[in-house]
Amino acid sequence: MLSRIEACVPPLRRYASALLPRQQDADALVQATLLRALDQLHAQRGDAEVRAWLFGIMHSLSVTRVWRARRSTAGPLEKGAVSPSGEPEESQPWPEILADLNCLPERERAVVLLVSIEDLTYAEVSRALGIPVGTVMSLLASGRERLRQMTRTEARPCLRSVK
Amino acid sequence: MRAEGRPITEEELHAYVDGFLDTERRAAVDHYLRRSPEIAQRASSYSAQRDDIRDALAHRGVEPIPASLDLHRLIEARLARRPRWWRIAATVLLAFALGGGGGWYFGSSTPTGLDTLVQDAAASYVVYTADERRPVELWAAERADLSRWLSNRLKRPVSPPDLSGLGYELLGGRLVATGPGPAALFMYENGRGTRLTLFVRPMPVGRTTPIEDVDTGDLDGCAWIDKGLGYAVIAAEPYSRLEALSERVRQQAHSLD
Repeated sequence: MLSRIEACVPPLRRYASALLPRQQDADALVQATLLRALDQLHAQRGDAEVRAWLFGIMHSLSVTRVWRARRSTAGPLEKGAVSPSGEPEESQPWPEILADLNCLPERERAVVLLVSIEDLTYAEVSRALGIPVGTVMSLLASGRERLRQMTRTEARPCLRSVK
Repeated sequence: MRAEGRPITEEELHAYVDGFLDTERRAAVDHYLRRSPEIAQRASSYSAQRDDIRDALAHRGVEPIPASLDLHRLIEARLARRPRWWRIAATVLLAFALGGGGGWYFGSSTPTGLDTLVQDAAASYVVYTADERRPVELWAAERADLSRWLSNRLKRPVSPPDLSGLGYELLGGRLVATGPGPAALFMYENGRGTRLTLFVRPMPVGRTTPIEDVDTGDLDGCAWIDKGLGYAVIAAEPYSRLEALSERVRQQAHSLD
């Protein structure tokens, strides 16, 4: 069980980095997630569920006031840079696509991220976020479409962000 | 959307992008997209998004995992602040959960006494930092006396480290009575009037442990053991700051030897 959790640490760090621009905040969120997981360890579940369970914990922590605040106050402001929503850009090294994602409604962002980064199945995402698979699908579709419109209206030369 | 046979659904378009379709449906969607450039463009845009997101975060998956996210360390820190019976129960439970690979865990979770140290340190913090007029018994001006007195009582050389580089000036210190024996309490204050305590007590086992984050309900702190002395730093500061302060204390204790 513990080794399953350990194996999820790199994926959890990836997900947290997509939610919080500052690495220290992202890792603090991972730590909070792991501590919460250790507290709930007694509520045994099958190994196959571990990933969905951990991402679920991280998601529910990330939408609480404390972690939302870290997102909005994080990072030095990039001069003149304004994200599509009109809010100041969080910090320079944050790739464009993540900044765009941050403009999506919370659940759409979570679904698009979980499916994209970690290859979670739609059923796993449904368990992680505690929503029906049908809702996962419609959130995925609307999230992806919204992202596509964002990149289009900004008239980027190509869809791939320059790293 | 329609290919031969079953129509292609929007859901399948996404499952196609995410690689969840079986060969047959995948071929059907491929076929359909070849004839519907507009939808094909949308699908490729979704795929590009997916790739962009993965690329943007890929480096985080290969970076070394920091100590703060080491599961074994987190377990120790978590257990250190529970009552002893709970810790033993949890150790047993975890050993079962771990099955055969659990050897490391038993080895590293021998009770260190750090939990009682942290509880005593927290109690001293609450009682003494709240005292406006006489938080300490000997003030910083009598630093040499303070060190001599506490070293005699603890039967180990102890002296208040210099934390001024991190904004904390020594107020003074006192002897504290605890169950396992006498302990030393040094108190510091920063420019904003925030008080910090460093609690030191000889430990029954002469082992050395890494600095770990602890909390005792309302209070946050760091604790560790160094050459048989247990240390706890408590202050209303974020963990990153507490760790830096603890690191400074540890370095100076080493330079005493």
